[in-house]
Amino acid sequence: MGSSRSSLRGVPDGQQLLQETGFSAALLLRLHQRFQFLDKDSRGHLRSEDLEAELSENPIGDRIVGAFFQPGQETVDFPSFVRVLAHFRPTEKNWTRDGVQPEPANSRNRKLKFAFQLYDQDRDGKISRTELLQVDTTNTYTVKSKLSMKPLNTTC
Amino acid sequence: MFSRMAPRGRSGLGRSLAELGLLLLAILVLLDGTVQSLEAATSSEIDTHEGKPGTHKNTSKKSFPVLGIKYEDVSVPFEIALWVLLASLMKLGFHLIPRLSNVVPESCLLISVGLLVGGILKLARDEVPPVLSDRIFFLCLLPPIILDAGYFLPIRPFVENIGTILMFAVVGTLWNAFFVGGLIYAVCQIAQDKYSEIDLSNIGILPCLLFGSIISAVDPVAVLAVFEEIHINELLHILVFGESLLNDAVTVVLYHLFEEFMESGSVSAVDALLGLVSFLIVALGGVLVGAFYGILAAFTSRFTSHTRVIEPLFVFLYSYMAYLSAEVFHLSGIMSLIACGAVMRPYVEANISHKSHTTIKYFLKMWSSVSETLIFIFLGVATVEGEHHWNWVFLTSTVILCLVARVIGVVGLTFIINKFRIVKLTTKDQFIIAYGGLRGAIAFSLGFILHSEHKRIFLTAIITVIFFTVFVQGMTIKPLVELLAVKKKHEAKRSINEEIHTRFLDHLLTGIEDICGHYGHHHWKNKLNRFNKKYVKKILIAGDRSKEPQLIAFYHKLEMKNAIQMVESGGGSKLNSTFPSTVSMQNIQPKIHSPPSARPSERALPQLTKGREEEIRQILRTNLQKTRQRLQSYNRHTLVVDPDEEGFDDLILKKRRMMELDWKLKQMTNYLTVPRPQGSPTMSRARMASDSQAYVKPGAENVPTIKIDLASPQSPDSVRLLDEVVQDQGLTMSLPSSSSRAYKTSGKDDGRDQQKLLRCLSDPGPDVDDDEDYDDDEPVPT
Repeated sequence: MGSSRSSLRGVPDGQQLLQETGFSAALLLRLHQRFQFLDKDSRGHLRSEDLEAELSENPIGDRIVGAFFQPGQETVDFPSFVRVLAHFRPTEKNWTRDGVQPEPANSRNRKLKFAFQLYDQDRDGKISRTELLQVDTTNTYTVKSKLSMKPLNTTC
Repeated sequence: MFSRMAPRGRSGLGRSLAELGLLLLAILVLLDGTVQSLEAATSSEIDTHEGKPGTHKNTSKKSFPVLGIKYEDVSVPFEIALWVLLASLMKLGFHLIPRLSNVVPESCLLISVGLLVGGILKLARDEVPPVLSDRIFFLCLLPPIILDAGYFLPIRPFVENIGTILMFAVVGTLWNAFFVGGLIYAVCQIAQDKYSEIDLSNIGILPCLLFGSIISAVDPVAVLAVFEEIHINELLHILVFGESLLNDAVTVVLYHLFEEFMESGSVSAVDALLGLVSFLIVALGGVLVGAFYGILAAFTSRFTSHTRVIEPLFVFLYSYMAYLSAEVFHLSGIMSLIACGAVMRPYVEANISHKSHTTIKYFLKMWSSVSETLIFIFLGVATVEGEHHWNWVFLTSTVILCLVARVIGVVGLTFIINKFRIVKLTTKDQFIIAYGGLRGAIAFSLGFILHSEHKRIFLTAIITVIFFTVFVQGMTIKPLVELLAVKKKHEAKRSINEEIHTRFLDHLLTGIEDICGHYGHHHWKNKLNRFNKKYVKKILIAGDRSKEPQLIAFYHKLEMKNAIQMVESGGGSKLNSTFPSTVSMQNIQPKIHSPPSARPSERALPQLTKGREEEIRQILRTNLQKTRQRLQSYNRHTLVVDPDEEGFDDLILKKRRMMELDWKLKQMTNYLTVPRPQGSPTMSRARMASDSQAYVKPGAENVPTIKIDLASPQSPDSVRLLDEVVQDQGLTMSLPSSSSRAYKTSGKDDGRDQQKLLRCLSDPGPDVDDDEDYDDDEPVPT
């Protein structure tokens, strides 16, 4: 669309995001509108409360929200928002491991990594038994039990 | 199932069964013939008697008939029973001849039998009973098959692919109908076969379109019969099968539409529009009727806790009523039946007893199996009956056009569909979908009730297409599937692990959709689920089970199944009947609204009740005891014994059973950690699951254990029990410390065996004293 460039003006790093994530311009625009909708105070970035409001009934809502925020950060800006969502595009099959292009967000590997991070809450690169049990019981109840086994060494 | 080394006796038995079937058939034929003549004779006697009552009173006092034949009273049920018996015996016979049933699908064999029977009947009596009348077919034979399909429909793949399925069913069938109808009309106009006495050119366009609409529908019975045997992957199965179910609505509408048009003689645009509206009404109306009856059935099942015996009856009756009600209003009966079965199933299964569930399952399978067999046999018989108008041009062009239409339809539609699918359909998939478009008895029955003047030629063509698809395509699809290396069905049932993680991903995707503000697939599914949980389940499911989270219900079921399997495979162990039901999930208190920041308090994990642990101990005792008796003569070094040794097979069997037992116990306790109950020493060790928790309550230091010793390297997967014999107890136990010292294994493998052994045992908690045995550097094997 010829008008895409002009309408992307409001989007921070619009062009770069287009290339990086592979979203179409229309989609990117829509995501920006959504971002602005979620960002109630028009601060330009989202806090976890904004996202949690949408996910109140979701059993794993807190994990999902946590996935958007880099460790230590309290806010997420639009480019990070889009980059996380780019994981959910249809799987990219054409990318070759030639090292020229950076790995796109929707490659199988990156998707798996994203899913892994949802399990691995403390981000130590391993899914401990605690974490696995939490996932297992999250759908039903919260049960704490005495856990004694060593963590599974599943590094990416 | 098909043992290559079937002894000669079995195939002989199969042959003898087939002979028995033929014998029954001969009886059928002869009975009809002879009894009729007999009746004629007796009736004439009676006539003569009555004719002269007065004068013959004295002389014609006949003796009391001790033995008499009165066939006509029971003739109809008798013949029906005989047919069903014949069908079942045929089915039995086929499976006893493994080589035949590997190559030829059952449907072909049954049609052949039907042809044979029809031929015999025709020769014997010069006329064949019209067994495949449309009333019998649509009212008696078809519903069980469809109900079976609908009740056990895998909902998740069906709903996920519903867009694709609908596209194929609606658009694909329409395309097929018009393509075949139109082109066959063209062929009729063009081709003039001088040798045929039938003038093709006066077949109008409307009859041709009607014919096209009949022949274009993929038949669920045929698809089920053939696809059942090729074990193709779930996606393709549900695509073809779903299409065959849903195109019924299209077929019904087109059929009635063209019939009306033929009556009225003219078509207008309004009629076409009405046809479209009618399609929507037929389809949605059918579904609504079915859903209504499904909800009624679910509601009724809520109150059946005191009359468990008739629970299955409700399921069947409500479904049949749904079918008939839909047929009354000319709605799609098949869709109604599917909707009824699919809607009522989750609620009914939560309400009814386990035995009723088994009953329903087996009755449905039985009826649908018999129905299917009968349909194919009758198809064969009906082929023989009635005159056929052979017109080679018509027939060959019909067959070719059907194939071409199907291929073009599938390819074209897939091209469009793939733009909207995440998991695209590959060329292989398309080929299988196109090739799996079998026609069957529904087309035949619809053709049977035609009132056209060209009925005979249409019927012949329909039969030809059916035969072609069932025989040629049915027989070759299996080797083609192998050749093309199409993905096969994943046979194992979903484990709880898969279930949990699938749910996790569902929640994730729903969450992402919520964030994006996108009202997509997952959003609506989530909404439906929550609506279901909040309102519907409370109404339709009796008592406590409505509050039970679905995962726990699933776990219940799995555990029940495992328990039953264990009973069956455990051999001679006598278990109390209360064994499966003492699964004490009641100890779990659901904590749904846990505030995220509060530390969840420690809750009691599900306790194994006393009764249950007693059972498990009992099983283990019997099994251990039996194996122990065998093993006394062996030691590690001579485990590979000559197979001639007595009882060796038994031993292997016992070992296998032990391993099955362990595995099942492990499955049961895998995801819920079970504390080591006080005072049940065998439990902890006997669990032998490397993942489950077995922490011990403080104070139980001297927990006796059973050490498992793995066999020598020559047979690494056989488990041998090395027991310290304690004289006064049947159960072999030993104190852990003493056993490790008194460990009688010798030699170099000791260290390795220690590790292997420890991997086998359930992992103790940190405060159990055999920590010293535990190797901290080993990764825990799964």
